[in-house]
Order: sequence, then structure tokens, then C-alpha cells
Amino acid sequence: MRGRVVSLTLLAVVVSIRLAGAHHSFSAVYDSKRSVTVTGVVTQFRFVNPHALMSLEVTDKDGKVVTWVVEFAGRLNLSEVGWTADSIRSGEKLTVTGNPTHEPLPRLAFQRIVKADGSELRPGAAQRNDALEEERRERAKRRTPQP
Amino acid sequence: MNRLLALSILLALPSAGAAQAPLQTLEGMWSNPPATIIGSACAFYCTDVLIDRLNALLDDPANDNKPLGQLRADASARERTFIESRLTAAAKATYPLDPADDPGLLRCEPWGLARQMFAPHQIEIRGRGRDEIELHYGEWDARRIVHMDGRPRPAAPASLFGYSVGRWEGATLVVETSGVAANLTGWRSKHSDQVRVTERFTRAADGKTLNLVATFEDPWSLREPLVLKKIWAWSPTSQIAPYDACEPPASVKRGVAP
Repeated sequence: MRGRVVSLTLLAVVVSIRLAGAHHSFSAVYDSKRSVTVTGVVTQFRFVNPHALMSLEVTDKDGKVVTWVVEFAGRLNLSEVGWTADSIRSGEKLTVTGNPTHEPLPRLAFQRIVKADGSELRPGAAQRNDALEEERRERAKRRTPQP
Repeated sequence: MNRLLALSILLALPSAGAAQAPLQTLEGMWSNPPATIIGSACAFYCTDVLIDRLNALLDDPANDNKPLGQLRADASARERTFIESRLTAAAKATYPLDPADDPGLLRCEPWGLARQMFAPHQIEIRGRGRDEIELHYGEWDARRIVHMDGRPRPAAPASLFGYSVGRWEGATLVVETSGVAANLTGWRSKHSDQVRVTERFTRAADGKTLNLVATFEDPWSLREPLVLKKIWAWSPTSQIAPYDACEPPASVKRGVAP
């Protein structure tokens, strides 16, 4: 068995999942209120514009192999956080979490990847958000009179 | 010796071409905005309404525990109201456009000028000969030519990017564009082929950011001029990659907020 659908999670809150710098609105295609996690084997990773794409063979609970497609941000935003065309290789086993399509299709908007060795790949937006929160804390500090 | 002297004087002289004047202040590669709150808010476009509201919210201690996304949403809502107040009845009838109707999404149709100029990612500014400046965008790998020879727009059918005439005001590149075919805007509205855009590109004093202030006039869609802003960060090592793998989605859902 090459992979298995692991979980389908309905999130209670709206999370910011839009692929950073998307050339179109992802909300028309993907459901930002839900996340799906699948485990499978990579058959292709295309480091392309406007969005990088990965194909993943996932075996469902009935033993049927389904090819899932995972859509990422484009090359620039991935490159800025260190991704290359070799960040994901064919034959790798991965666990992918992403937002599913509104229609029940085997397709996800990338949120998180866990590799077989436990290492993780995350969108660049997460690092950017950390920088923004730090700026916000600094603004608040400057506003507060120091004793 | 005299020849060497003459050559060195020639090399030191600035080019007489109009495109070359202060081009060196802007020329090069610019990319995603700086990772600041305002930079991120202006990654596509922003107005002073959004910037002022966001700054006011951030300066209010009562908001310190609210998620940044909530404050951004508040400021964006105020901006949408502001933009809607500038629209004519004709443009309001379809504002805001449903993302599920976006031909760029549905059919991978490249964007028109009023959307392309606010595209995310890179803009590369390069002189082309004596009288032209090229604006090369990462999104769609799109290229525009700014004509610096002072001649008016020639008679020609309206096109995706129209005809752009540029001039320097100090170190600011001012680009006036008309002849743009009716299309969609970056602010989820429609415009007519009467739209006229004035862009002002300026490098910030610290040299690290490129600022755009764009003023739109369109008697069909706008009751009064609409001013939008955008920010890029200096990114000399960035490279624009091919944009050749756009795939229309298998299905879309209408009525979902972007």
C-alpha cells in the first residue's frame, strides 16, 4: 500500500491559506475552511509558474490508487524560502496537508508537507507572517512608555 | 593622448536619449514588497484609506490582542467601501466581480493593463535604446514599452496594455497610458476603453523600495479619479522565470469571497 488518506479535518476557524502572491483567487477553487491530509508517493514535481504542481499516488481505503494533484505558490515565492526544483523528488513518500477543492476532486492547495525523515516543508507565507507579527510587537513596544 | 581624453569625456557624458536621463535610479529588478505590514498590505495595490486605517488600528492598544488578519480585513473593508464610492452606476452593477468569473482563472487569459500593473512578484525596468523603457513583469512574463520620445499616441486600435508615453520629473518616471481595451481592473471592477492611467514610479530615499502611485480616470467606470499605490523591494538577484504552465481549474465555486 503506497499511501492512505489520513484525515479530513473541518477547521473551526478560517485560516489564511491563500497561496502567497497567487495570480488568481484560490477561494473560487479551494475551500479555505477545510484541510485534508493524504500520504502518498510523488510521481512528479513541476517547479513552474504560475503555480508549482505535484502529482502524488495515494491509495485509498479500498486499495484503489488515486493520483492527487497538489498546487503550490509560484516559483518566486517558493524560491524565496529556499525551494528548488529538487525540493521534492519523484519516488519520495510524503504526507501532505492542504485545502481541498469545493467539488470532491483529488486536488489540494498546499499547506504543509512532512517528509519520511520527519522534515517539513511549509509555505513562504508562514515565515512572512512571523515577520509581520514581530513588527507589530515592536510597534506596540514603541507605543508603550518605558518605565 | 588627446584621443584617450576625448573618449573618456564621451564615456563620462550621460546619453542624450530621453530614456536614459535618471533611468539608473530605477533600472533593475524589483520584486515582492518588503516583509512589513504595510508592504504586505500593498502587495497587489492599496489606497491611502487602507494605509491610514491599518495604521490607526495598529496604534490602538485595544487591538493588540486581535489577529493581524482581522485588522487587515477591517482596513480592506473600508477600502472596498471607498472604492465603491468612486464607481459609476455602470461599474457598481458588477462590483465586486466574482472571482469565479475571472477569465485569467477560467481560461488563463493574460491580464490587461489595469490589472497587470498591480501584479504580484517582479517588475524589471530596463532602458531599450535611446527612447524606450521596458517594464517586464514576473506575473504572466508580460512586457510593456514606455515611449520616451515625446510623440503622442499613434492612431491604433485599443490593445491589452494600450500605448504608454513617459517623461522624467526629476527622478520620478511619469507614464501616461491610453488606448487600453475595455477589461477588468485589479480592484475587481470593469473599465472602458476610455480609461487613462498616470503612473509615477519613484525610488524611496533609502533605495530599497520602488513606489508606484497610479491615478485612473475613466468616465464610464469612475465618478472621479482613483489613486492606487503599490510597493516593490529592490531585488537585483531575482530572475523572472517562464510563465508557461497555467492550467484552468476543473471546477470553480461562485459567491466565495476572495
